[in-house]
Amino acid sequence: MDINIRNAGEINILDFSGNLDTNSSPAAESEVNGLLEEGSKHILFNFSDLNFISSSGLRILLATAKKLKKDDGKMVVYGLNDVVQEVFDISGFATILNLAATEEEALASF
Amino acid sequence: MNQSHSKRVILAVDDTPENLDVVKGILASDYVVKAAINGPIALKIAEKHQPDLILLDVMMPGMDGYEVCQKLKENPVTRDIPVIFVTALDQTSDEARGFSLGAADYIFKPVNPPILHARVKTHLALKQSMDELSQAYGIIKQQKDRMEEELNIGRDIQMSMLPLEFPAFPNREEFSVHALLKPAREVGGDFYDFFFISDNELALVVGDVSGKGVPAALFMAVTKSVIKTRAIADPSPASIVTRVNDEMSQDNPSSMFVTLFLAICNVRTGECRFTNAGHNPPYIRRQDGSMEVLSQRHGPIIGAMEDLAYKESSIDLGMGDELFIFTDGVTEAMDHQGTLYSDKRLEEHLESSMKSSVENLVSETLESVENYANGAEQADDITLLAFSLLKEPDKSEYPRMSVVIDSDFQEIGRLNTELVQFARKNNLPDDITRKLNIAIDDLVNNIISYGMEEGVDQSIEINCAYMDNRLLLEVIDTGKPFNPFEQLKADTSSSIEEREMGGLGRLLVKELMDDVDYDRQKNKNIVKLIMNIPRNP
Repeated sequence: MDINIRNAGEINILDFSGNLDTNSSPAAESEVNGLLEEGSKHILFNFSDLNFISSSGLRILLATAKKLKKDDGKMVVYGLNDVVQEVFDISGFATILNLAATEEEALASF
Repeated sequence: MNQSHSKRVILAVDDTPENLDVVKGILASDYVVKAAINGPIALKIAEKHQPDLILLDVMMPGMDGYEVCQKLKENPVTRDIPVIFVTALDQTSDEARGFSLGAADYIFKPVNPPILHARVKTHLALKQSMDELSQAYGIIKQQKDRMEEELNIGRDIQMSMLPLEFPAFPNREEFSVHALLKPAREVGGDFYDFFFISDNELALVVGDVSGKGVPAALFMAVTKSVIKTRAIADPSPASIVTRVNDEMSQDNPSSMFVTLFLAICNVRTGECRFTNAGHNPPYIRRQDGSMEVLSQRHGPIIGAMEDLAYKESSIDLGMGDELFIFTDGVTEAMDHQGTLYSDKRLEEHLESSMKSSVENLVSETLESVENYANGAEQADDITLLAFSLLKEPDKSEYPRMSVVIDSDFQEIGRLNTELVQFARKNNLPDDITRKLNIAIDDLVNNIISYGMEEGVDQSIEINCAYMDNRLLLEVIDTGKPFNPFEQLKADTSSSIEEREMGGLGRLLVKELMDDVDYDRQKNKNIVKLIMNIPRNP
C-alpha cells in the first residue's frame, strides 16, 4: 500500500492507494501518528484509490478519531467505494465518522 | 341410583297383599323393600325410584306381569333393572314368554326364603358387574378414540410434509424425479424429500421412522429440517447424516429411530454421493437395462448412538440411468398367506419393466406390489422414489485452488494475492473479490491471534472452489477449538470516545459473506465461507 501526504492549507490530506489490511495497517498507523505528533488537527483520508479496508484499518481510523476528538480536531474520510462503504455500514463507523463523497465536499466541511 | 354401600332397593309387585308381606318379611333385614299392588303403580315407582331389582308377580288383574315387564323394558330409565318373575308352579309353560320379554329369572310360589335370598343376591351381583364392565368399556373406548385421533393427526402431519407436486421441477430438462408414499392404515413413519442445495446439486431423502402417531411425525419433521439446514451449509451426505444422528440421538427419551438413505446427485456431472444409515439398499437400473444394487452401508440407524461418524460412497450416473429408492413396506408387503414380496421379486420386476418415465416406474412398481398383496391388509407405509438423468453428464472440472500458509500474519498478504489471481482468472466481480479479501484478512487474523498456541508453528489450509454459481471457501487449521462465529458481540453503536474494536473483524466476516459455517472435525477447525455469484447477464 502507498500513502501520499499533501496539504491544503492547515488541512493534511492522506491519499491511500492499495489495501488497508493486517499487513499494511502498521505502516499506515505510523504515518498518521507522525502527523498527529506534529500537531495536525485537520486530517482528510482520501480513499478514492483504496481497494478495501479490513478491521485492522478500521482500528487506525478509530484511534485517530479518538485522539482528534480529545484535542478538538476533525477528520473526514472520502471517496469510499461500495465495498468500503458497506464495511463502514456494518461496523457502524458510517455514523461516527465524518464521510464525504469528494475532496471538494470534504474540504468544504472544515 | 342407589349407592352400593347403602342398602339396595327391591320393588315387590303382587296383587295379593299377603304375598307382599311374605316377601317383605324375608328380605327387609337386608334390603329396602318397596311394594306395589298393581302394574301401573309398579311402573310409577320403578320410574321414580329406579330400584336395583324387581320381583314381579305374573298373574295380576288388569295389567299382568308380562305387560309390566314389557313396559319396563321399553322405558330407557327402567330398561336395565333386572326383573324376576314370581309365579305359581302350574304356569311354567309361560316361562319362555317371560324370558323372551327380558326377565332375568323365575321364582315359584310358595316362595322359599333361602331360594329367594340367593336369587336376589345373584342377580344384584350380576347387575353390578355389568354396570362396572359397561363403565370400563366406556373409558377404554374413549382412550381408543383418542389414540386413533392422535394417529390421524400424526398421519396428517406426516403427509403434509411431503412434496406432492409432479413434475417437481418442470423447468429442468436434464433430469426427472418422481415419488409416491402409500400410507398403511395404522403403522407408519415413512417420509421422503427432495430439494436443491445449489444450482446443480439435488438432495434425495428417503427414511422410515419407528413409532407412529404425533411423536413419530414430530421426530420426522425435525429429521427433515435438520437434513435441509445442514445440507445447505455442507453438501456432504456423510457430514449431514452424522449431524442428523448427533441431533436425534441426543434427546431421544422415547428411543425413536430412523432408517435413512440420503443421496446428493449432481445433475450436471451425474455424480451421486450417498450415505445409507440402516436403510434398504436402493437399485440402479442402467440405460442398457442392467441392474446394480447400492449395497454399501455407512452406519447404523439414526438415533441409536451419539458421536458416530458416518461415511459416504459415490457412484456415477449416465444418461438414461435410473436410481430407485424405496422402503421396506415394498419388500415386506405380504399376500394372504403371509409370504413377503421380497427383494428378489422387486429386482425381477425392475429388471423386466419397460423403460419409460420415472413416474411410470413408480406407479408400475406400486401396482406390482398391490397385485401381489391381492387385498391383504397393508402392514406398513410403502414409499417409492425414482430419479433419472435425461441428458449426457457434463464432467468438466470446475475451477478450484488450494493454498497452505504458515500461521504468520505476514502470510495473509500472499494468500489474498493468490485469491485475487483466482478471481481474475474466473471473471469474478470486483466487489466479490474485495469482500472475500476482507473476510479472509479478518478471519485468518483471528485464527492466528486466538486459535493458535504460542510459539507453535502451524499451517492453515485454504481451499477455494467455484461451482454452480457459488464460491465455496474452506479455511482449515489445526489449532485449538475456535469458532469465530460463536458468541459474536461487537460494538457498532457507541460514540467515538466509548467505541471498542472487539469482535468487529469477525462481524465483518459474517456479514460480508452470504453464508458462513463452522465445524470441528477430529482435531481441525473448519470454517466455510460461501458467496453466491450472480449469473452473467
